[in-house]
Amino acid sequence: MGFKSPEPIGCHAGAGGRLGRNVKWRTKVTLLGALVAATGWSQDISVQGITIAQMWKQETPGFDKATYTPATQYLGIDATKLGSDKLSLHLFGWGRADLGDSSVLDGSKSGGYLTYGYLQYQFDKANAELKVGRFAVNQSTGFEQVDGISARTDLRGGFTLSGFYGLPVLYRTVDPVSQADYRFQRDVIFGSRLAWRSTKGLELGVSYLQDGSKAAKDLPLPSATDYSRKQVGVDVAVTPTTIFDVRGRTVFDVASHPAPAAGAAEPSKLAEHDYTATLKLGGQLAVSGNFVERNFFAYFAGSNLPSLFRQDEHDLFKAWGGKLTWSAASALQVVADYRRTHRETYGDANRAGADLRMDFLEKTVLAGVGAHWVSVVDAKLVDPLAPYRSLSHREARAWVLVNKGKFSASLDGIVQYYDSSNPYIAGLRTVYETVGSLGYQATSNLKVSGDLSYGSNPVARHETQGLLKAEYRFGMGKKGGQ
Amino acid sequence: MIGKPMLKVLGILLGLGVLMACGLVSPETSFAPTHPQELGAGRPVCSECHSTDVAKGALKPFASFDHTTNFVKEHRFQANQDINVCASCHAPSFCGDCHGGKVPMKPALRLGDRPDREAPHRGDFMTLHRIEGKLDPSSCFKCHGRANNQKCQACHR
Repeated sequence: MGFKSPEPIGCHAGAGGRLGRNVKWRTKVTLLGALVAATGWSQDISVQGITIAQMWKQETPGFDKATYTPATQYLGIDATKLGSDKLSLHLFGWGRADLGDSSVLDGSKSGGYLTYGYLQYQFDKANAELKVGRFAVNQSTGFEQVDGISARTDLRGGFTLSGFYGLPVLYRTVDPVSQADYRFQRDVIFGSRLAWRSTKGLELGVSYLQDGSKAAKDLPLPSATDYSRKQVGVDVAVTPTTIFDVRGRTVFDVASHPAPAAGAAEPSKLAEHDYTATLKLGGQLAVSGNFVERNFFAYFAGSNLPSLFRQDEHDLFKAWGGKLTWSAASALQVVADYRRTHRETYGDANRAGADLRMDFLEKTVLAGVGAHWVSVVDAKLVDPLAPYRSLSHREARAWVLVNKGKFSASLDGIVQYYDSSNPYIAGLRTVYETVGSLGYQATSNLKVSGDLSYGSNPVARHETQGLLKAEYRFGMGKKGGQ
Repeated sequence: MIGKPMLKVLGILLGLGVLMACGLVSPETSFAPTHPQELGAGRPVCSECHSTDVAKGALKPFASFDHTTNFVKEHRFQANQDINVCASCHAPSFCGDCHGGKVPMKPALRLGDRPDREAPHRGDFMTLHRIEGKLDPSSCFKCHGRANNQKCQACHR
């Protein structure tokens, strides 16, 4: 049971999030327009856009034939030196319009989303900065989208302090009643991280995150699903030399939860351990090892899809593995990896494989091949009629990318081989997909490309998709990363 | 309601707090907002230029930032601890290729012409996710646990 709010639910359409619930669209447009207009003050502005047109047809037995032709527009603006060298504005979002049948499950033919839009002020000293607007926070406990304010600064003695406060960006849940509960509980989000860094290569951080001031027990009709969270995180980085480092974090769920049923074990407060150590041997060889432990009750806290990420399973997951990276030369890199996973309710699996990357003629030609084996040695409860080893499978991939003058071309193929008794493959043991792409850099600011993919899978024995893309970038900004 | 005397006390305390905080702030010059030199195409090898000395304001041994395949898959630790280092070369939208609360298509589809980039879910992941989800649902949770799961909701309700 949940709490029915008199307010309409509209966060899944339009700009999304808190703004999408309580602020009229005219106000949103005005705010966004004001932000965009502010770029007029900028002495250094960069605009990046990607326009993508897709097309695919679908014929599924039992369903109407459908033709999908969605057009998607990404737009990003980075405007710096807004009156001051230290003030900048960053906007990024996308919009979609379906020219044919609706390509999304709610049946809408248009949609959009503001990924971020914030003003940033960076100080000359102490790496201090302020952000106001919609931004992402990735402190120790996780990745959050916030409509609010954030600040950080380095302190004397190697300390760093950061914090944020605002309204959480909301997403969609499965039905209106749970959506009202979700909105009721997630009314505020804030967090902070205090870290200390030594000149000898040690960094220790402690962080706190609170997402929502209410919980399911505070609803007029109490529910069993908590969408709110309280987490404490500890992170560490040990880099005593340039050839060795250990990094990782531990996160605890510190929210109070209803007492477990009589006779049931108290769930662990430990949400996650995640640690990686890397050792570089000479300039060519690097070895890394990773250990992960997650308790689902604590780790899945706050999920807006509790039917899938089920806290009530009280499951424990552990994994350990390693990678061996050999850079034979700057043009050749080999990575071999192994990982063993253990899940209490489903059992163990081993994953091993290798990837080879090459570049020729000073990165004119890039190529890679890889193969992986997943051996499910002891999985349970797959299907009453299927042996538990049936989830084992193999995967291979090969790709090549050529950049010659203004032209580029790529080919990418990936294939998976499944066990014949796998219950999910509808008798199709070999599943594959190939993607071919041709691109032309018309000017230094404009690139157009087209992708054509063909594949076969249990849903569609023959699947062909086309995608046209135009990428353009104007202005003086040098950052990118592509 | 808070009375005027209380507001004065709060104002004095806040002022003292700000003054103390200013005294605690590091005097070091901030990390460069953009990389001093233009980088070539592809993944950089930071240790080609950066020595073992730590840099003031960033205090990071740069050899650990070489963009190897392993670094690309494990970059969450560095991004969590000091994203300013990432921001000196990468525009925020670069992170948005994969990290967004709501994306209109999977990154592998959007980056179909860039097979060199580590985009998640290449190929037919619809079949594979039924296996991966059983072996390790916590790996799905990172991106789809609290956001980006409208498609998941079609079946998982």
